[in-house]
Amino acid sequence: MNVFLRELSAYRKSTIIWCASLSAILIVFMALYPAFTTDVAATKQVLSQFPEALRTALNISLANFFTIYGFYGYLLGFALLAGAIQAMNVGTGIISKEVSGKTADFLLSKPMTRTRVVSAKLAAALTIIVITNVVFCVVSYLATLMAATETFAAGTLFLLASTMFLVQLVFLALGAFFAVLIPKIKSVIAVSMPTVFTLYIIGTLGDVLGNDKVRYLSPFKFYDTNYIIRNVSLEGKFIAIETAFIVVAIAASYVIYIKKDVRASA
Amino acid sequence: MNAIETSKLTKFYGTSRGIVDVDMTVNEGEIYGFIGPNGAGKSTTIRTLLGLIYATSGSATIFGKDVIKSGPEIRQEIGYLPSEVFYYDDMRAIDLLKYSASFYNKDQKVIGTRIKHLAELLDLDLKKKIDDLSYGNKKKVGIIQGLAHEPKLIILDEPTGGLDPLIQQQFFHLLKEENAKGATILFSSHILGEVQKLCDRVAIIKDGTIVKVEQIKTLLENSTKRFKLELVNTPDASAFDIDGVGDLAIANHSVSFLYRGRVNDITKILAEQDLIDFLVEEPDLEEIFMHYYQKEDVQ
Repeated sequence: MNVFLRELSAYRKSTIIWCASLSAILIVFMALYPAFTTDVAATKQVLSQFPEALRTALNISLANFFTIYGFYGYLLGFALLAGAIQAMNVGTGIISKEVSGKTADFLLSKPMTRTRVVSAKLAAALTIIVITNVVFCVVSYLATLMAATETFAAGTLFLLASTMFLVQLVFLALGAFFAVLIPKIKSVIAVSMPTVFTLYIIGTLGDVLGNDKVRYLSPFKFYDTNYIIRNVSLEGKFIAIETAFIVVAIAASYVIYIKKDVRASA
Repeated sequence: MNAIETSKLTKFYGTSRGIVDVDMTVNEGEIYGFIGPNGAGKSTTIRTLLGLIYATSGSATIFGKDVIKSGPEIRQEIGYLPSEVFYYDDMRAIDLLKYSASFYNKDQKVIGTRIKHLAELLDLDLKKKIDDLSYGNKKKVGIIQGLAHEPKLIILDEPTGGLDPLIQQQFFHLLKEENAKGATILFSSHILGEVQKLCDRVAIIKDGTIVKVEQIKTLLENSTKRFKLELVNTPDASAFDIDGVGDLAIANHSVSFLYRGRVNDITKILAEQDLIDFLVEEPDLEEIFMHYYQKEDVQ
């Protein structure tokens, strides 16, 4: 419990900043929604003149864009990018900081198994992500309520918002795996940003090229907003893929962390 | 029961040697010195005992329990101070020490009182942030976190770096107090003098292998000193040709040599010289190894 609480305390400030930033993205974007819906026909005509590839790359679906769900889904694409960076930073940093900060000797010479150390750290990371998502869902609801010009079902909105949590879980697991795999991580950002942007670009390229198989490679494309809006559900196969990936990544993180040598910090 | 026992403990980092076939027995209640030049394998041995690194082969037990299988249980009774201390910069010293204490199944109030007592003794401001502490003061935090829970085994890996002589003295006093209360101490160092001051027995490690285990008394009897002389005239090398003199170097009016033997014998030789100045100092370990242990082919 002590390691868990210590990590929550260490990440308090950054969690507040991430929650505030994600809330700002939601509020600012949703505040623009009424402006887009004042003259739907004219805006639609402008957008339809964009090349289809560009619209796809920007995640603009003319069928949904002017509905509250579609607009929320559009901004969600950008929020997911930010959320993925946060999750990857937490996943990578919470494990690797003991090596980069040279505090591994202190922590691992204490009477605690390495399994418990990793469990406490991952539990803290998960708690940080849950807190972020509770804030994200609440602000999503309030911002949508503020911007909506039509009635909307909170269930559909929360289902869309839940993709943030699901995508963050993937990056959290990936971050933890990288943290134990890469011997000395000097900068967490140097690991998280290239990983997140590479996977984001892969997903976008898949959309532009119309290659559906790319969805399996990019967590950003696991949960299609149009599918969620249409079916009010998530695609089961991607939940299964995500679960399998997380289980493998976390199990590997445990095994590597438990078995590896902690070299002298000097 | 032995406090520490290793059997053919070996560690390779890939292909590079850490330690090879280290057999070490530390009795309960003794202060055991562990001395050797940098890179000899002192830290590797200690880190293996603490479960920070895994042995390639061999075994190690602490209080009769395997260091890997019973690691957390054993570490309840260990206080460890590494040569370089690094803590969480965002924490205050008191928070770090309370965090450290929270790992031990002991009365937290008792540990808390001891933390305050030790901080007063070492003159450490507990309210300061770790980031704001000097290296010496961080080392004091390290000493307190290592001793606060009154461990039965104290493992110190070159602990005196960064401590001023006064605090060093205070620290040695503290260690002797803990030893008097029954604690076993493993004290690693590359400075012969500090091991001589504190320890009952000493193991000498070189190139990853323990080359000798001696009582400190014996080591003191056989202690080697480096002599440096400044003379009025260029001396004759034959004047220093007595048993116990080694590594003799004469340059102009200066003479330098290592001596191990009766002090009276060497002072007689010195008295015959026309001296301007002279210096007697402890040779470093490398010198001892080079000119004595290797000569005697000690294994």
